[in-house]
Amino acid sequence: MNNQRPPTNPASHLGPLRTSLLVLIIAAAYAYGFRVTKVNPYDLVTGLPNMRHIVLSLLQPDLFVRATEMQKADTPFLVRAESGAPEPPPATPPAKPGPSVEIYPGVAKPGDVIEVKGRDFKPDTPGAIYLIWVGDTRLGKIATDAQGSFATKVVLPGDVTQGDYWIEARVFRELNWYVPSETLILSLRLMLETIFLALIGTTFSVIFSIPLSFLGARNLMMGTPFGRATYYLSRTFFNLLRSIEVLIIVVIMAVVVGIGPFAGVLALAVHGIGALGKLYSESIESIDPGPIEAITATGASRLQVIAYAVVPQIVPQFIAFTLYRWDINVRMATVIGLVGGGGIGFILIQYINLLQWNQAGTAIWLIAIVVMAMDYASAVIREKIV
Amino acid sequence: MLKIEHLTKIYEDGTKALDDVSLTVADGEFLVIVGLSGAGKSTLLRCINRLVEPTSGKIYLDDVDITAASPRELREIRLKIGMIFQQFNLVKRSSVLTNTLSGRLGYVSPWKSLVYRFPAQDVARAHANLERVGIAEKARARADTLSGGQQQRVGIARALMQEPKLMLADEPVASLDPATSHSVLKYLEQINKEDGITVICNLHFLSLARRYASRVIALKDGRLVFDGRPQEIDHRRFKEIYGEEAVQVEIGPDLTPEEATQAP
Repeated sequence: MNNQRPPTNPASHLGPLRTSLLVLIIAAAYAYGFRVTKVNPYDLVTGLPNMRHIVLSLLQPDLFVRATEMQKADTPFLVRAESGAPEPPPATPPAKPGPSVEIYPGVAKPGDVIEVKGRDFKPDTPGAIYLIWVGDTRLGKIATDAQGSFATKVVLPGDVTQGDYWIEARVFRELNWYVPSETLILSLRLMLETIFLALIGTTFSVIFSIPLSFLGARNLMMGTPFGRATYYLSRTFFNLLRSIEVLIIVVIMAVVVGIGPFAGVLALAVHGIGALGKLYSESIESIDPGPIEAITATGASRLQVIAYAVVPQIVPQFIAFTLYRWDINVRMATVIGLVGGGGIGFILIQYINLLQWNQAGTAIWLIAIVVMAMDYASAVIREKIV
Repeated sequence: MLKIEHLTKIYEDGTKALDDVSLTVADGEFLVIVGLSGAGKSTLLRCINRLVEPTSGKIYLDDVDITAASPRELREIRLKIGMIFQQFNLVKRSSVLTNTLSGRLGYVSPWKSLVYRFPAQDVARAHANLERVGIAEKARARADTLSGGQQQRVGIARALMQEPKLMLADEPVASLDPATSHSVLKYLEQINKEDGITVICNLHFLSLARRYASRVIALKDGRLVFDGRPQEIDHRRFKEIYGEEAVQVEIGPDLTPEEATQAP
């Protein structure tokens, strides 16, 4: 409290020896710090070109693809130890309108050459032949002629196991418009999940922290020894929850309820109880005590005093803090997927691990846009309320 | 009848706010308490409805011992004691009507009141009380949009909702200009004369005390130093109450019909 002392230069108290000792200690601390954190500017400069590819890819997010029209036709195909004619002979399929494919032979062994013929496809269109088995294996390129027919020879891979499969011909025609890419659709869907994950997590923390915040408000609780104990207990509880990082809680919750958005919701809720509880308590502490005195004097009960003198004073601040928390939680929800908490982070980390930087760029751009929009919206709303 | 016996209040920091005050207030009196800031006036009022817990002494309202009341009994007693404040103590964001209705909380069912529902006759009573203090048209306005004088009238309407026997007024006009002060005190005088509600009022201005009080008491350093009719406070008594250096301060006659006197 004593601010009356004249300002003095702290170094003059120390003397030259102490000053140089202090400098030495600071220098040693930084020297050690640089060593343990392995600060190495040379690596930064030489490694910088590695970033070029990533940055360029991130700047070209996978957003839209040219719309294509696909036409396909297939026919059954048997892989046996010996090649030959199909057994039993194929029943002539009823003549359907549309494209069709024929192959010869209908039974082949791995490594054989097969003739594939197609007709009634779109004319002058490129495409490919696929073997449909465990997955789709592309066997060769095709292009239809002016009549919409093609004929080609493809080699069956050597590692095909015996079984009953299909040979399929697909032709693609690029159309003159663009459609959202699969990455964009998936990212949008998971971004929506992220926003709602944050909403539900915030809601749960609001439900629990509102009643607790009254117990953590000094001005309401300091009257009795029991109240005082409750106050310190609640505040310690809030600080404890607040001090555990959300990512750590996600990992713990993923063990309890399994990997997925629910683990993320629980983590945001737990951390949020601590954070919101503290903010709510502090806004209760900052209210005007006059109305409390006045309503108490009318003979109202304690709950009525809270409902009529405390609640109207704290509602705007509570709404503001809640929006603020939701805003923070959307940001948190984008990264809790990295450790199994659901939301867009879940696919972002997959794209990064697969080095699919264009797709990662899509998710990162979407996160940036949504976070900025939420930030702006919550700021505008908070300004209007308070 | 209010009876105060040997009332003493020592705050936690050791301040002796009231020192052995004994006093009897008859029904229908308009008692004004004067004295310097810190003389114990506010503490005395707050001991009567136990917003402040007395250290020792007894207070009886109609032979009921307030100081010994349990929390439930205390709420019953508080119903009969209205109170208005220097800072009005309205909930600023709530409407005038809600502020007025909150004076009725002690009467209504706790659960209904928690969802902000009041019986129709209480709403009618609130409108009537607002009408009485001349601000019926402000019922829907937010309390903080009203002027100071209007807010204090809401405070009176809120206290009237309790149908009190006794009205405590803690510096009700200290935040108001002299003209507004008179209008507020006239409403207090009116409920005192028409409804027979006993009024105990802290005031800074001796001139206001002379004009409205049926009886004046003075506190100095927590002790009762004067008890009598307002006309009995002469120059010598004034010096006793307010100290040797005090001078009577006049407030411009264009603002108030009476000559105002103010403690330093």
